[in-house]
Amino acid sequence: MLLNRETSGKRWRTRPDGEEKVTGKLVYLTDMSASGMLFGNVLRSAFAHARIIKLCTDKAMALPGVHAVLTFEDIPGLNGFGIAKPNQPVFCEDRVRYVGDAVAAVAADSEELADQALKLIEVEYEALPVIDDPEQALAEDAMLLHPEGNLLHRAEYRRGDTAAAFDDCVHIVEETYFTPRQMHTYMETEGGLFIPGENGRITVYSATQHGLMDRLQLSRITGLPESDIRVISSPIGGSFGGKDELNVQPYGVLLALRTGRPVKLHNSRKESVRAGIKRHPMKITMKTGVNREGKLLAHQVRIVADTGAYATLGAEVLNFALEHAVSGYRFENVEAQGYSVYTNNGVSGEFRGFGGNQAIFALEGQMDRLAELLGMDPWTFRALNLRQIGDPGPLGQRIAQTDGAKQVWEVLAQSPLWMERSGPSGETHEPWIRTGIGAALAMHGAGLGFGIPDPGAGRLALAADGKIEAIFGYEEFGQGLIATLEQMLIEQFGFATEDLRIVIGDTDVVPDSGSSTASRATSMMWTALRNMRPAFTKLLVEKAAALTGTPYEQLELGAGGIRNKAGVLLLTFEQLASAAGEPLAVKTEFHYPVTPDKRVGAHFLYTYAAVAVKVEVNTLTGRVKVVDQYHAVAAGPVVNPQGFLGQIEGGSGMALGFTLSEDAFMNSGRYGVNNLDTYLIPTVTDLNGSVTVVPIETLPEGDIYGPRGVGEIGSVALAPAITSAVHHAVGKRIAKLPIEPHLLQEAPFAQKKEVSGA
Amino acid sequence: MTDNHAMKQGAPQVTSSMISSETSYTLDCDVNGEPVSMKVQPSRRLLFILRDDLQLTGTKRSCEIGRCGACMVLMDGKPVNACLTMAYQCAGKKITSIEGLSGRGVHPIQQAFLDEGGFQCGYCTPGMVISTKALLDDNPRPCKAEVEEALSGNLCRCTGYGGILRAVYKAIETADG
Repeated sequence: MLLNRETSGKRWRTRPDGEEKVTGKLVYLTDMSASGMLFGNVLRSAFAHARIIKLCTDKAMALPGVHAVLTFEDIPGLNGFGIAKPNQPVFCEDRVRYVGDAVAAVAADSEELADQALKLIEVEYEALPVIDDPEQALAEDAMLLHPEGNLLHRAEYRRGDTAAAFDDCVHIVEETYFTPRQMHTYMETEGGLFIPGENGRITVYSATQHGLMDRLQLSRITGLPESDIRVISSPIGGSFGGKDELNVQPYGVLLALRTGRPVKLHNSRKESVRAGIKRHPMKITMKTGVNREGKLLAHQVRIVADTGAYATLGAEVLNFALEHAVSGYRFENVEAQGYSVYTNNGVSGEFRGFGGNQAIFALEGQMDRLAELLGMDPWTFRALNLRQIGDPGPLGQRIAQTDGAKQVWEVLAQSPLWMERSGPSGETHEPWIRTGIGAALAMHGAGLGFGIPDPGAGRLALAADGKIEAIFGYEEFGQGLIATLEQMLIEQFGFATEDLRIVIGDTDVVPDSGSSTASRATSMMWTALRNMRPAFTKLLVEKAAALTGTPYEQLELGAGGIRNKAGVLLLTFEQLASAAGEPLAVKTEFHYPVTPDKRVGAHFLYTYAAVAVKVEVNTLTGRVKVVDQYHAVAAGPVVNPQGFLGQIEGGSGMALGFTLSEDAFMNSGRYGVNNLDTYLIPTVTDLNGSVTVVPIETLPEGDIYGPRGVGEIGSVALAPAITSAVHHAVGKRIAKLPIEPHLLQEAPFAQKKEVSGA
Repeated sequence: MTDNHAMKQGAPQVTSSMISSETSYTLDCDVNGEPVSMKVQPSRRLLFILRDDLQLTGTKRSCEIGRCGACMVLMDGKPVNACLTMAYQCAGKKITSIEGLSGRGVHPIQQAFLDEGGFQCGYCTPGMVISTKALLDDNPRPCKAEVEEALSGNLCRCTGYGGILRAVYKAIETADG
């Protein structure tokens, strides 16, 4: 059934954080200020690659109103950060490797003074050759960007004998696909407030997707014990993976500790573009072959990812891309290799979809091309090779089985939009507008994968004031996590909205629930509540039975307090809390479910999506307009209809930009864009088409994993659906994103034949 | 590729006198129905007057070049990007920020955004609501193209605009009803 407000009925709820958001009353961490606060700013490299010959901060320090100027010499602990591998310097010492590299930071009485102080810092550089292409970085004579070389990570997967299998193929498609350096473009740029407290403690008010990871990283940098650092990290004005890694926090903390005063930093958009991580640009070569009947026999993949100057999660993104480049279909013979390569370009890292977007664009492109060679309908061709329930995961690993691939395939096959494709082609309003319909399919892993710590935890408590507290270490960056948690508490326990207090985003009080990433938080909260529900119910009801004298069996949790089976309220939560005289609390700690097979990064839970789109290609301008979208999503039960719809619509909007307009392109290590006038995310006029979302909620009997997260699945299959529709419209195959309009332009009134001779 | 030469960053000739905040200009205007009189640089941007001087942080800072609409406010009822508006341009004007719209409870436009889920992270939302208010004050029954034109200067990265468009149509319907 399609998902909207009407079909959701009473399950369509007003978000608890909504009123503060629509009225502008919500205080984001970059809206905060403190009396006596200073303003911080960071000096970043003038070069994409250079040696630092001399660094002098005397003149900056002498400027009245400047309170601190810090460099590498001022770091008490580790001069490095990075979630998986901390090799990005907080401050560069003798070498800069990209234009976002930090050299120094200042704190001053005003933003203007901080800017002036940066200009007074004298840095002498010796420029080094810029390595701006991963293939160039892999050359034998390339200068090494890191002591261990220019290859951050190599990933590989093989099964069968591809060389022999290609000999048996009747059709082989070989193509190289390119994907852009997409920017997260959260509307709130990075920033926050850093307040030193008594006894050497410090409080960090700054966005992240995993407060406890920030605390760990900041502890390493400052040398402070983790218990002396408090990270408050929600609410957040968008993240999409982009704020999971540290950004301004090391500078804010170091400046606040040095000056003993609150320090505020808030990146300008230009600073955010220059320093922030992006989606990995990838070059993916695939060679895929089929027999006469259309059965996939062999699949060869080579991925080269530009990970930029430092590691962050580059290795993990590559593993994910490799896994998804061989996913969704039954390939008997597979040979896949991937390389995540350091360059002097901007740092690439975590971004919604996590490498799946790039891989699935290439993989689905192969499916369309093979179907065409076979003279088959592209959707029928997919069905012939689609994975079936019971099949192992993409890397041969055991996974939680669902029939998602077939389910989304079938729902899409019967969708009005896909059926329209085989009908008569519609009238176009203008002769230069051509319409086309295309579709693509994806399976997408959730959780961090085998071999990576992936904790889940939560607490429920009846607080002294009678509120039911749900405490989780997750973050609210817009996805609706608080609303989803509230809805689960109401629907599963019978609580009323006003009974609840949701506590997140404060490392002093939350358990280690793991990161709000990898489409994992919804399923982890669901599991945590399922784990805690019997014990928490028993704890409260037993206490109430003792207090009221009503037998335990006749009582249950309900809105407002403890009720008898007839629904009569016998004891309010407030009465229960004051009578209990002790905290009534339960907690759960567990690990995200993983495959038993020892393949690092291999996933266990997957979601599936099939997407059809209708496009209008303007052959005069070469521009593509998406006028209709249909999404079938198999991710288990929908726990929050508004959130689910918003994630699919929003994720696909982001994917539309990835396909049609977005690229933070670089030239010799310098960004060719620096703000939203040149980096073009979709506007309302680009996304004014119809979007239909159809969730498929059924899971196999006995499934214990419940709802899967949908933070990413909406963003991974749209690009290949659009390029498929473009081909349907104008007969041209696109292998590079964003689509370059000139490839689709046709000269009006010109003769179509080639001009011969020179 | 770059030349293999030494280069210096830093401009020692800059002095603190260039950044003096001394000013003799007094801005007199109306902000959310209250008279405001303050000494500011005539070129100070309205965005920072609202956020930093008046602590009205519902107006958001994002691109600062008038492309994203996160700082949209009304000036005499017309939508303007506060990041592109200087203090002297506000003299004698009525400025309405998101706080002015919701001063007396939740405005029907805001209610429509709440009901339809026309927001996620909420950072673009004040600007979206202000642009919608400007549109509907000027044209209570806009057609689809007019709605899209009115909102085309407001970027949202979370929703894909689906919930926002539903909210705007709901607001139009509510006002009609």
